[in-house]
Amino acid sequence: MIEVALRKTLPGFTLDVAWAAGDEVVTLFGPSGAGKSLTLQCLAGFTRPDAGRVVVNGRVFDDSAAGIHLPPQARHLGYVFQGYALFPHLTVAENVAFGLRGHPGAGRRRRTAEVLTQLALGDLAGRFPRELSGGQQQRVALGRAIAPDPAVLLLDEPLSALDAPLRRQLREELRALVVGLQRTVVLVTHDLGEAYQLGDRLVLYEAGRVVQAGPKAEVLGRPASETVARLIGLRNVVRGTVVKTAPDRVEIAWRGHTVEAVNSPTAPFQTAPGTSVAFVVRPEHVRLIRKDRVSPDPGPRMNLLRGEIVEAIDHGTSWTLLFRIAAPGPPSQGAYDLEIEVPHLVYEILDIGRDREWEVSMHRGALQVLAGV
Amino acid sequence: MLQSALMPEAATSALWLSVRVSVLATLADALVGIPLAYVLAKRRFWGRQMLDVAVMLPLVLPPTVTGYYLIVLLGRRGWLGGPLYALTGWSLPFTWYAAVVAAAVMALPLLVRPARAAIESVNPDLERAAFVLGRSEWRTALEVTLPLARRGIVAGLVLAFARALGEFGATLMLAGNIPGRTTTVPLAIYTAVSTGETDEARILVLVLTTLSCAVVLLASRWGSRL
Repeated sequence: MIEVALRKTLPGFTLDVAWAAGDEVVTLFGPSGAGKSLTLQCLAGFTRPDAGRVVVNGRVFDDSAAGIHLPPQARHLGYVFQGYALFPHLTVAENVAFGLRGHPGAGRRRRTAEVLTQLALGDLAGRFPRELSGGQQQRVALGRAIAPDPAVLLLDEPLSALDAPLRRQLREELRALVVGLQRTVVLVTHDLGEAYQLGDRLVLYEAGRVVQAGPKAEVLGRPASETVARLIGLRNVVRGTVVKTAPDRVEIAWRGHTVEAVNSPTAPFQTAPGTSVAFVVRPEHVRLIRKDRVSPDPGPRMNLLRGEIVEAIDHGTSWTLLFRIAAPGPPSQGAYDLEIEVPHLVYEILDIGRDREWEVSMHRGALQVLAGV
Repeated sequence: MLQSALMPEAATSALWLSVRVSVLATLADALVGIPLAYVLAKRRFWGRQMLDVAVMLPLVLPPTVTGYYLIVLLGRRGWLGGPLYALTGWSLPFTWYAAVVAAAVMALPLLVRPARAAIESVNPDLERAAFVLGRSEWRTALEVTLPLARRGIVAGLVLAFARALGEFGATLMLAGNIPGRTTTVPLAIYTAVSTGETDEARILVLVLTTLSCAVVLLASRWGSRL
């Protein structure tokens, strides 16, 4: 359990965040300079917040109102540094045992052996950090952090120092390990794949603030705002003008057409007609309409649009098509209006390589209105 | 021994005094200079800049000026030496301890500079890692920072020893040139040359040169294995 509320002003930057998490993996995700690492430094006690409160499993680490600020030594937390910060003058075993100083000799040796085995470092116990590969160093850093059985584990970009192939391979290993701890694990990353694969809960940072926080499926599936949608890398975030809102649907004027989106049954979107609004269309939910078939129901719910494919990008198993709607005025996303994702097979069957003029449809359930700014 | 055949008694006594003075001055510098380098590297406090300048001053001032300040501070009527004399009837100048103090003060900046740079270059994340794992700042300094800065500290100690061995001006001011008591090798060389005892001067110059070369050479071989 962790509850965090922090405010810290630095020259040209203000961190002002609040979030909480249970015994789960919480990922702080956001661009560089958003305040994720500063948050971690406050949690570890390296930096004193100007105001705020940090409580871990009922223990108060910081409480500016009560004048409480525990030093790092008194927090009993695990910290995996970006770049690992292994002690270069100590062996792997000595690094892992470093946090076990208070333990009696036998207990200390047993726990060290246990952690070395758990992380498959047994054969490397006598090596020095400079003799290890990046992946091995990462495991030693983890081992050193978890050996004293900390109440909370903090990981600062734990995989960023590694090459891409190794990083993907180690993600699963890391996930299994941190989930096995059954502790609160706070992980900082600017890699969305990492955030998604490693975390249970996502806290999205931007410019020193939390723009959305929640279970990861909720954050990724229902972004609260245009900012969040862009932050989590959603494609086809575009803007239109509200024509009409109803409890079950929203009509939006966009690129010379009126498109229809499903309104949220729980938190319906309601704005006066004429308001500018952002919405997102998932690229895999845009359908190309086959010319050899009878045209489907031309009703508004199908959101039929006619236009041209201006570019096609091959991803091996799928293609990304950049589609421009045949309407006057500048396209929504530079040279095009929509990204469309089609499987490789569909691309070949429809002979998209030669045929560029298409009609597409977006089921209204595929359009999601982004309420916030 | 070196005595009799090769060296007159005065020269031998000067050599042993020089070695004793340099070893003690280096030890004193280690005790004062390593903590000083650490504090200058890590702490921000009022007067830090002034302390920094005070430590470095012997490097840029003429040694006689440093010696003069030492007399003002430690002489029989000095700021510290006065009360000491009133209390105990003993004063530092013109004893061989004065040679140790003069050499230590002159050599201190040569230890503090590289030691401080080495301490500053230790990755602060390593110290933070030690903090998180329960170490106090004091334990962290002993177990992490100083061991990782050892090359710079040892280099500084070697420079300090070599400097102490060659100290002349400040020693002359504070300890005088009393044969058998405060005449170190550099002073003995000066005396020998000015009184025309060229043989004695030549031997002492050779011995001092060899000794200094040996210290630097040994240190660089040892240093590369650290």
